[in-house]
Amino acid sequence: MSARLEIRDLRVAYDRNLAVSIAHLTVEPGTLAAVIGANGAGKSTLINAIANWSRAAPRLSGEILIDGHAIADKPADLLARKGVVLVPEGRGVFMGLTVEENLRAGTPAVTAGGRAYSLADIYTLFPRLRERGTTPGGALSGGERQMLAIGRALRMAPRLLLLDEPSIGLAPRLVSLLLETIRALVDRGLTVFLVEQNVPAAMAVADRLYLLERGRLVASGSVATMKDDPRIIEAYLGARDG
Amino acid sequence: MNVAQQLVNGIIIGHAYALVAVGWTLLLGAARLVNFGHGQIYMVSAFIAWWVMSTTGMTYALAVPLAILASAALGAIMQRLFLRLTLSQDLVNLMIATLGFGQILEGAAGLAFGPKPETLMSPLQAMVFTLGPVWFTAQDALTVAATILVFLGLYLALNRTRLGAAVRMAAEDPPLVALYGIRIARVYMSIFAFEGAAVAFAAVLIAPRTPILTSMGFEQVVMTFVVVVLGGIGSVGGSYLAGLLLGLFTTFFSALVSPAYTTASVFALLIAFMVLRPGKLAASRNFAR
Repeated sequence: MSARLEIRDLRVAYDRNLAVSIAHLTVEPGTLAAVIGANGAGKSTLINAIANWSRAAPRLSGEILIDGHAIADKPADLLARKGVVLVPEGRGVFMGLTVEENLRAGTPAVTAGGRAYSLADIYTLFPRLRERGTTPGGALSGGERQMLAIGRALRMAPRLLLLDEPSIGLAPRLVSLLLETIRALVDRGLTVFLVEQNVPAAMAVADRLYLLERGRLVASGSVATMKDDPRIIEAYLGARDG
Repeated sequence: MNVAQQLVNGIIIGHAYALVAVGWTLLLGAARLVNFGHGQIYMVSAFIAWWVMSTTGMTYALAVPLAILASAALGAIMQRLFLRLTLSQDLVNLMIATLGFGQILEGAAGLAFGPKPETLMSPLQAMVFTLGPVWFTAQDALTVAATILVFLGLYLALNRTRLGAAVRMAAEDPPLVALYGIRIARVYMSIFAFEGAAVAFAAVLIAPRTPILTSMGFEQVVMTFVVVVLGGIGSVGGSYLAGLLLGLFTTFFSALVSPAYTTASVFALLIAFMVLRPGKLAASRNFAR
């Protein structure tokens, strides 16, 4: 079962600095929503706030709802066990654990509610991980580490998969492969919330786009409509001739 | 000097040092936390075993698991008491708080058990084996065997079990553990409980060798500190080796120089190590090895 995400009047602040302020945002079940924006726009703050996870302990107010249930006050570990699974920026795998240990550590709780991927499923999805099963996370390449991070998240039977900059630092070919895999998961019914700086890559797979600037949503819509938005063309896609 | 006998003594004492330190090794290696009440838990465990045996007539074999359970609970209570300090890995305040907790334990034990030395009786202490020029008791043999088994068991648990993986995850990146659906507080509580249980196990095996006193905790925490630092802070294999070598060093130093200066010599060794190999003081990433 995939989840519906709704955000109402969300404000996230570090000390007295307001980092994110969003009046309303929804992600329908079984769709892929991508938040795009420049460095420092508040994308990671937003996605971390949904998972209630941060290394910096920001202040948070407003409502975050999964299928109508408020989750903003729930700890990150509980949310993960309930199927709200975050893959943070920088991959979020344990360097001292092997690939297989990382995957096994992400075993789902019975309450997660999404499709539980077995180790065999993960290895089918990412054959490279099977070959690297006994390799420590710290010895993997960036692409392998990202595959492992997503594989670990899928092992936790997510209903809502939160991905923070999965393409960062990866070769273009790997970015395409990874995002195609994510799209295939969405087509099988998973809800994915993605934040991404690589706007063309996000546009290629998303159902809906949100443009975040200085912590505020300044535009949103389907990819078909957003690709003609002059702010996006100018800032992220490059001005078109003629 | 009977060199063979001193060698055997050193091996036995070395294993005792290692066994007392094993819980601290995990605590510091996995959780980057300290517990300076460690020595007093050792003392309390010995007294719990002595007290139940002397008041209820319980056998040594039954008193041992009881003391282990009680000290595991004590460790878990400590973690709950200092929850905020453990979760924020506030090492300085935790050091002060656990040092204070240890002093309270010592005071409470003094009040409950009195100032005079007591004897924790083990039937194995009277069973003496003589092999040529050397002798040792069944209690000594049990201490050595139990230490090897505890270290082996800890190594396997850390590297082959889900809880062990969680402990290694907590050592590497505590905030990230939550994203795997694991409650870090529970991992820390397990570590504190293990520390309590392990030091209790050490106490009930080692305490029958000498009279027990409510003031004996401090010496234990001092030796534990030395073993853990010499072992590479948090390295399971390193602590075993450091305990063994320290046992041999103190035994031969006592025999060749004087028992009066043993503690001073141990600290001279520690300082020399810290000066010559300062890099080794950093907690190892591969602490489970």
